[in-house]
Amino acid sequence: MPTVSALGRDELGRRLAGAGVCLETGPFITRLRSPLAQLADTFGLLYADYPLCERGDYADFHITLRRAGGLRRWIKPQVNFDFDGSTPFQPLPLAQAFPMFEWVLNWCISMHAHRYLIIHAAVVEKDGHAAILAAPPGSGKSTLCAALVAAGWRLLSDELAMVRLDDGMLAPVPRPISLKNGSIDVIRRHVPRAVISTPVADTIKGTVAHLKAPAESVLRAAETARPAWLVFPRYEAGAPTRRSPVPRARAFMRMAENAFNYSVLGAAGFDALAAMVGRAEAFEFSYSVLDEAIAQFAALEPAPL
Amino acid sequence: MWRVTPGQCLRHAEWDDEAVVFNDLSGDTHLLDGAALHILRTLQGGAAGEAALAAAFDDEAAAAGALGAILGQLEALALIERA
Repeated sequence: MPTVSALGRDELGRRLAGAGVCLETGPFITRLRSPLAQLADTFGLLYADYPLCERGDYADFHITLRRAGGLRRWIKPQVNFDFDGSTPFQPLPLAQAFPMFEWVLNWCISMHAHRYLIIHAAVVEKDGHAAILAAPPGSGKSTLCAALVAAGWRLLSDELAMVRLDDGMLAPVPRPISLKNGSIDVIRRHVPRAVISTPVADTIKGTVAHLKAPAESVLRAAETARPAWLVFPRYEAGAPTRRSPVPRARAFMRMAENAFNYSVLGAAGFDALAAMVGRAEAFEFSYSVLDEAIAQFAALEPAPL
Repeated sequence: MWRVTPGQCLRHAEWDDEAVVFNDLSGDTHLLDGAALHILRTLQGGAAGEAALAAAFDDEAAAAGALGAILGQLEALALIERA
């Protein structure tokens, strides 16, 4: 299957501005249309390895990002998001077009993919066993996720843990990792070879940049993983690397609080989460030194089935 | 006498003397300790008075205060009501 990189920058721009580009990210097909050159630049950089879907017009999500009209074409230009003909988001400054695409796609999945219990969490995997990193913004979740991925863990997602309701397996949705504020330079220093987009300042989350997902993670996007560890990470400057067990019932409540659609799913969500919590080991993880954190994760042993 | 709130279907999962309980009527999920879950499950078997429920506790002197607090907690969560 051809990938985005096969198009080349000019053809990518033409397709985005025209009929759109149909992209496979794990179980979802997204059709993106946009005439914005800066979006095409960053999209081409970070989505180069993703398969293009050539199955006619079908897509799970149809997303259009275009420049706002009226005086906004000239004065403090903005970008608008159009989803299946509606505009559910407020426009953002034009420079935020790519972050907006990422946020919009997260929104599309979390609002519509109710075959899954969707938890706001990063997911990484090694040897078939996945660690779910669930934590509020600012806790260092994405920084830890990026460092683990650079150390050889497979990226399933930086934002969305997708728990299949029928068998409890985690479906990958590997996409760029969202780095914010100080974590951008932390990862630049830690992973000098990392491909990171140009930082965008003054977003609702501060300065954001996106780290390209490894090609191998993208290639293995159909390969599910079993949840083995439920991790509540917290970056604390100067803190020693430490694991503290979390009782399962409390881990359940914290995971439910971090889920986008737990309430929507009702009993099915409860059953899926209870099954996952019952099989996995839950712990808080505080860290300040990435190499130590990576070493601790390398030593994790999955609980026997 | 106390009984579980009519019309609700409760699901629960229990680990290490704590439990999570899902109430399909309200859509809420609650974290309960082992004693509260025991009282709730007893009432799921049928309405009961406080004397019968207190029998679940080993220490009778502590039972009255503890039971009152648990019943108050379960009532506040709309899981049980006075029959």
